[in-house]
Amino acid sequence: MADLQKLHDAILNGNFKIARDVTQQALDEGADPAVLVHDTMIPAMNEVGRRYEANEYFVPELLIAARAMKASLELIRPLLAARGAEPVARVVIGTVQGDLHDIGKNLVAAMLEGAGFEVVDLGVDVPPEKFAAAVQEKNASMVALSALLTTTMYSMKAVIEKLNSSGLRGKVKVIIGGAPVTQKYADEIGADGYSNNANAAVALARKLLAA
Amino acid sequence: MTPRERWLALFAGEKTDRIPTDYWATDEVTARLCRDLCCKSLEELYTRLQIDGIFAIDPPRTALHHSDDPEADIWGVRRTPVNYDGGVYEEFANHPLAHMTSVDELDAYAWPSADDHDYEAYRAMIRQAPGHRLIRSGNFEPFLLYCALRGMELAMMDLVANPDFATAALDRIFAYYYELAGRTFEAGGGRIEVTYIAEDLGGQTSLLMSLPLIRRFFLPRQRQMADLAKGFGIRIFYHTDGAARSVIPDLISVTGIDVLNPIQWRCPGMDREGLVRNFGDSIIFHGAMDNQQTLPFGTVDDVRREVLENVEIFRNARWVCAPCHNLQPVTSTEKIVTLYDTIHRYGTR
Repeated sequence: MADLQKLHDAILNGNFKIARDVTQQALDEGADPAVLVHDTMIPAMNEVGRRYEANEYFVPELLIAARAMKASLELIRPLLAARGAEPVARVVIGTVQGDLHDIGKNLVAAMLEGAGFEVVDLGVDVPPEKFAAAVQEKNASMVALSALLTTTMYSMKAVIEKLNSSGLRGKVKVIIGGAPVTQKYADEIGADGYSNNANAAVALARKLLAA
Repeated sequence: MTPRERWLALFAGEKTDRIPTDYWATDEVTARLCRDLCCKSLEELYTRLQIDGIFAIDPPRTALHHSDDPEADIWGVRRTPVNYDGGVYEEFANHPLAHMTSVDELDAYAWPSADDHDYEAYRAMIRQAPGHRLIRSGNFEPFLLYCALRGMELAMMDLVANPDFATAALDRIFAYYYELAGRTFEAGGGRIEVTYIAEDLGGQTSLLMSLPLIRRFFLPRQRQMADLAKGFGIRIFYHTDGAARSVIPDLISVTGIDVLNPIQWRCPGMDREGLVRNFGDSIIFHGAMDNQQTLPFGTVDDVRREVLENVEIFRNARWVCAPCHNLQPVTSTEKIVTLYDTIHRYGTR
């Protein structure tokens, strides 16, 4: 029998090889992929987030945990897709136009995935129309925008304007984050939420989508 | 006092005639300021705004590109210009060590050499350097370079998942910089007064990596570099962005810093009063003019208010008034002029 505590600990400790191997073994033995996600992987990533909030984990630990979780998810996702399982929600994420910095965006994407969201990552330097097109195409219910620079955060406003003019704003929540971004700025541009770290972004996403 | 005398007095813990100032900005901002204030050079701009700017020079490179990649810099990293509204930033376009898994591969890589610099030309530059400005040489920020070589995520993960590889790469980077710094300091003939050591250890809300990792990977090499500089009577200017409060005691006792930049006081733990209280006897604070909210998005009055607030908070400490990191095009000329006018009006001792 696959040792699911081992999978939990492999994610927590960021060992992607063990995470992948135990996941494969569990699936081979007929484990339900959705149960693996909900009973083992999400709790592991919740614990990663808790340790980050408690200053026990920092960016390197967060990154290796996310890598382990993704290694496991890569095996699970096709099985979930094959049975038509719907994710908690679908989030379109990207770093806004003019900005190539992505470590913060990647951490938020990983933590959202670890919480059971399906994440459509558009990468960096993403123009407003690409966000709008992805929302439409993927039927997303949330858009997450990242910017590191005071000179590029203005592009966030352009994305919201594009969602407005495309008639999509009403069907998606918009959350923003990044070094110079503040709650005040989120209010100014009409975003639904702001978070200053990847773990809190998950709580924010859950709250907004439950509302 | 000349700008240099002001800095030297600050280092010696002596009284300065006024609070010293410094200037960090993107090229676009400097060009705009020069245009708006009718200055023909950076020196003219410094004089116009009474900025105690540091004169930074280093031995020019004789090799500009990596031996295996004529489009890359000496480390093998290519850059690409990325436009934003108002300017251009050079961003990394490749990470030449990203595919590597073993230290053997690092051994096979062509690393730059400290020989590839013109120390004679540097001696001439030193002789011609302005006597009224503090002179800075040397620039050591090995993990930033490792991030460029490896990709930031992989570099960060290496610290916990691949520590031997990270150590071996950082050793090679260090070897180049240590040799370069030694020869530079020697060639400086006693004219160099400060060197730059940096690593961005703080994020927006906390350290980016844990204190044990910082102590293992960064501080010992910083200490060696600082000790080398101090042997030449050179002071240590240290830069770390962000919420770095918990590492400051180590920066003082292990690295041995003299100046801490940029004091992002809005970040948790970086409140100015606390820093003055805890570290004011040991270090010079450099920066503290918020460049994430006040300077880019505040009003002229907000800028003036923050200068006055800082004058009060740093009254009994050693402080160099400067923006936290590079001024960006989003900050108006009026706000920048207000910053320097206010400090000169109210910063007289």
